[in-house]
Amino acid sequence: MTALLLDGARVSYGHAEILAGIDLSAEPGEVVALLGPSGSGKTTLLFAVAGFVPLSTGRIAVAGRDVSGPGVHEPPERRDVAFVFQSYALWPHLDALETVAFPLRAAGRDPDAAREEAGRLLRAVGMAGLEGRRPAEMSGGQQQRVGLARALARHAAVYLFDEPTAHLDAATRRAVQAEVAARRADTGAAAVYATHDADEALAVAGRVALIRDGRLVQVGSPAEAYEQPVDRWAAELTGPVSVLEIEVRGGIAVVGSEPSTLAEPFPDDGHHVVAVRPDWAHLGGPLTAVAVESWFRGPHTDVRLDTPGGAIVVRSPGRVMLRPGERVNWTLRRVWPLEA
Amino acid sequence: MRTGRSSAGDRRLKGATFALVAAALLTVVGFPLFDLLRTTGEALADGGASSYRSGGAIAVANSVWTGAAATALALAIGTGGAWLTERVGGRGTKALRAGMMLPLLVPPFVTALGWTRAFGPGGLSDDAFGLTLPGLVGPLGIVVVSAAHVAPLVYLVVAAALASRARPELEWAARSSGAGPWEAFRRVTLPLLTPALVGGGALAFVASVNSFGIPAVLGIPAGFPTITTRIYQDLARSADPAAFSRVVVLAATLLVIALLAVGAADAATRRFEPARAGASHEPGRAGRGSRWTAAAWTYLALTAAIPVVALVLTGLTKAVGLPATPGNWTLANFAEALGGGIWGPAGRSLLLAGIAATLATGLGLALAAVSRRGVAKGMATAATLTFAIPGSALAVAVLLAWGPWLRDTLLLILLAYLAKFWALAHRAAAGSLGSLDRDLIRAGRSSGAGPFAVLRRIVVPILRPALTAAWLLVFLFALHELTMSSLLYGPGTETLAVVTLNVQQLGDLTVTAALAVLLTVPGVLAVVPLMRRERRP
Repeated sequence: MTALLLDGARVSYGHAEILAGIDLSAEPGEVVALLGPSGSGKTTLLFAVAGFVPLSTGRIAVAGRDVSGPGVHEPPERRDVAFVFQSYALWPHLDALETVAFPLRAAGRDPDAAREEAGRLLRAVGMAGLEGRRPAEMSGGQQQRVGLARALARHAAVYLFDEPTAHLDAATRRAVQAEVAARRADTGAAAVYATHDADEALAVAGRVALIRDGRLVQVGSPAEAYEQPVDRWAAELTGPVSVLEIEVRGGIAVVGSEPSTLAEPFPDDGHHVVAVRPDWAHLGGPLTAVAVESWFRGPHTDVRLDTPGGAIVVRSPGRVMLRPGERVNWTLRRVWPLEA
Repeated sequence: MRTGRSSAGDRRLKGATFALVAAALLTVVGFPLFDLLRTTGEALADGGASSYRSGGAIAVANSVWTGAAATALALAIGTGGAWLTERVGGRGTKALRAGMMLPLLVPPFVTALGWTRAFGPGGLSDDAFGLTLPGLVGPLGIVVVSAAHVAPLVYLVVAAALASRARPELEWAARSSGAGPWEAFRRVTLPLLTPALVGGGALAFVASVNSFGIPAVLGIPAGFPTITTRIYQDLARSADPAAFSRVVVLAATLLVIALLAVGAADAATRRFEPARAGASHEPGRAGRGSRWTAAAWTYLALTAAIPVVALVLTGLTKAVGLPATPGNWTLANFAEALGGGIWGPAGRSLLLAGIAATLATGLGLALAAVSRRGVAKGMATAATLTFAIPGSALAVAVLLAWGPWLRDTLLLILLAYLAKFWALAHRAAAGSLGSLDRDLIRAGRSSGAGPFAVLRRIVVPILRPALTAAWLLVFLFALHELTMSSLLYGPGTETLAVVTLNVQQLGDLTVTAALAVLLTVPGVLAVVPLMRRERRP
């Protein structure tokens, strides 16, 4: 049974349309990343699923039961959904243990059992010994862990994450991501994970949904989103990309007047505007260009080249020393056509 | 050069500011209150406890119970309004937020006068429908009008708490944790709102008990004394020396009641975590609140707008008793109000209000600056307490302390104004100073600017909106001030509000109305657009 189904879900305030007919589904155990810039409607979509905002038209079903739709608007507490807030939304008057026990108490568990279970969940998210802390006495990462434990205590069919790592440092962010993945494997619940960070979206999700101005632009596996973006906006949202103008003749890319054989055959001959990820090209080979700039990034070096087809960033393993203005050779292995 | 330490020049500046603030606090608050308590002690030792027997106890009881009743009513009104603007939302919310504050901008005694002209015998509703509000002149009227007047204080505190402390998000978190609407309210929203309700209630109680204008208009004619009207009648209208010792004892009693209320509220809310500043989502569900919004506007029209309109009409009518129809309109009352001796008091009022606003804003900023770190908490509490000090008690204290040298001078009144309104300006200054990131100042200093240049070119421009608002607020409140002015004025130092009160006590209703309108309307019309611009975005 589908854990979450959105069918033409639309949200508007007055004349402003925040969500324009969203179709999306998530199977049990699946993580769907909702990737979009701020203001694109990610939070509103999650709010609609959680029941914080009503739909104007369309339908939302959770675990096979309609919760939003024509004549239906189940309140948040009657949806099989748990929410992790970007701002943590921890109650300042409750300590960590009481906070995590809250959903268990609301579900009818007796106080002692609820506290015991809450303590177990807090230990599971690495908050052992901090059960008595109030939000004001916690770091951002600790607050987010408590928020996460509170959501887990709901034992819901669908978990909604609203940029849960937006305010966290890199190390805490990785820890929270790992916990999300582990929890999901444990519970078999579906999750929708809103973020504006492409790395995070591709790393945590089984499927990625790109959202722009309240519309889903592309839904697919992380590999599809990265390798086959539907347009230039989608390409730039999902990772570093260069845009080149090239000509294709019999599966061979021609940049300026120099040919480079593509690793995968390209069907249409002719002029094309193409997306090139940094790892789809490398230094050395049949093409010539002028080095403009290079950035050493530890495991690899990004080099920006001026080519007859436009500027391109090429990723090379290790450390590469290039002087600006130096002539270099390079190879184009792979391209993806962008609609004009 | 050592880092992390301020230079000698900075320290001197800080030290001088600190000395100035301390000296000013002692002059306008410390010394007078000390004198009040010392004189009270002497009076009580002298058998001044008889003050309570000769009618004082009744006045104290009346003040306390009408204050408590008005507080209960104001809590309901203010909380309902806050819920409407911060939770229900919808179109017109911004206008309603400003509208909820309007009653505060009309001086209390003008509001009370307006109510008698709107809903009392011979008033608008009487003329139009033969309806009057029974008991308007008397305790019931005092409770209702006080509640309407102080409800904005509750509204302010509760609305701020609903927007920041009890953010909607926290309620949603409870709902999506499985709690129903009632459980979410009981277990999350209500506990988070408690400090605001207690604090707002304390403010409303203190403001009601301290109010002089409302019982002066609605209590004195009914023979219903409160502490403030009793002090006024004993001090301004009686030459009996025994009356003066009663004034002192009553003033001290009023002071103790007000401080007890604030202190109890402070103690009750201390155990709560401070509010965490956070962006609140604007639910903005258009249309949902329209019915309630209409009800709120109706309430504001009934309690604030119609009384003022009634006063305007009374001022325009030839004589009391005639219906306020255009045929009976005349400008004679305004002409009479504007003729004669009005210009002296009006000029004095403007001068006093202008000086008081300027000095209070400067002192408020100075206090905020020196109390930013370290002793900040104690200083801030002290500043809040001065605002809670009843005007009547403050006036008696200032009279005791500075009267021997400054009797019948404007300086005496100015000292009282500063004591009362300093806290008001300090709040605004401290709020905006608190939001002024220290890094902005550090950036100025590391760009090569000295402390004064940073103050002039960075701090003041950033604070200007808040300081302008503070200045305007103090100016308006000082212009409307009656409680202290009516106790401290002498020959040649009457303010416009005092003249209006005196004309009212003489019973000339139409001229009183004209004066009240002249006192209120221009100031409010000037301030409202500016206040709206300075409101939070």
